[in-house]
Amino acid sequence: MSGAAHSDGDRAGAAGTGNGEPGEAGSTAVTGLADAMAGFAAAPSVRRWLGRSGDAVATAERTADLEMLQRFCASIDTDPDELVAQCLRSTKSGTTAISAVGRRKTDEAITAFVASEGATGRDSIVLANKLRGFLIHNGIFMQGSAAID
Amino acid sequence: MEFNRVVGTRRSIRFFKSWRPVEREKLQVMFEAANRASRSMNADYFRAIVVNRDDLDAETRDALRNPTTTADLDLAPTYIFWYIDMNYVEGAQDRLKALVDQNALSAAHGWSRAYVDDFLWPQVLEPISKDMSAVLFMGAVETGIAICNALNAAVDQGLGTCMHAFTANETMKSLLGVPDTWFPVWLQLVGYPAEEPEAGGQRPRNPISTLFFEGHTSRPFEEDPEVTERLKREGMLQTPGPFPYRAQEVKMLSRMYGLPE
Repeated sequence: MSGAAHSDGDRAGAAGTGNGEPGEAGSTAVTGLADAMAGFAAAPSVRRWLGRSGDAVATAERTADLEMLQRFCASIDTDPDELVAQCLRSTKSGTTAISAVGRRKTDEAITAFVASEGATGRDSIVLANKLRGFLIHNGIFMQGSAAID
Repeated sequence: MEFNRVVGTRRSIRFFKSWRPVEREKLQVMFEAANRASRSMNADYFRAIVVNRDDLDAETRDALRNPTTTADLDLAPTYIFWYIDMNYVEGAQDRLKALVDQNALSAAHGWSRAYVDDFLWPQVLEPISKDMSAVLFMGAVETGIAICNALNAAVDQGLGTCMHAFTANETMKSLLGVPDTWFPVWLQLVGYPAEEPEAGGQRPRNPISTLFFEGHTSRPFEEDPEVTERLKREGMLQTPGPFPYRAQEVKMLSRMYGLPE
């Protein structure tokens, strides 16, 4: 059962704990961006996101993605790490779990943001999924629609 | 495709050719395969409803979406909703006597019409039919066996398939006319793979010696290397993933469909 067994929600690894985390493999491509968007791109959650996709994404595309994430965070008055935290909750046993409510609200916020950006059709799906990608690489299991038309 | 290769090639396919429908005849083969599956009491444990994605209105498709199954619903052209019919015990008495009459169940193994009427039905099966935990347990096991046949039949015909939990049960119950006695089990998505059928290589499995034993749990069932080599030649054991280009394959498919990377 997809998702039910997903176990990448441990935020302790957000700053990079191996297995290709930022600060190790894939971090060089981030360097230039970090200069340009120092505070924002230095957030552990952002570094984790960028580090996961390695060097495969062109710098221009990375910049555009980062700028969009920044606009999204600004639109809901939060920062990247807090955005991830809003999709998590603490359980009675003290572990961290994905918050169904937080995830749904965030997904709704993504949809609203993409609409506010004027994106429609395939573009709206792609942009929303890019934002979801940020959350996914920070352990928040979620899916968006696919562009099939 | 030979049986061993079918078993070895099955993967949980998650990228489908969204534009290519599944031929109805291939679905019939899948259903016939499921209907041939082993089943106790010769009972019809399962029910399944096949639905074309494009026959569902947007509202219904949206209702089916959940955080873990959304893109899959867009990509797969065919949905099969699998249920347990919790009334499967009904008629078991007559079915078993029919098997006795056919000598499928014979005196050689202790079976008789009298045993079914006087003991098995009143003392075993009828009580089981009133024990919902037993009904659910048996139903889940036997429905799973049937689904496995359908999965392999799909692979044999060049289809891709993947099992998913399904939510929105009330919505689908109303839309599809599902009786109260049907218990939802799995949503099987079917289509032609957009990814390679190998989907990046065979998934890791523990050696059978960790799972199977001979005579006692202290004696693992050790592989015969010659048999292992034959299974490699026949396709049950395939190149393990990930293929060196798997990441690129996923990236390109994700870009084609606008999915997260």
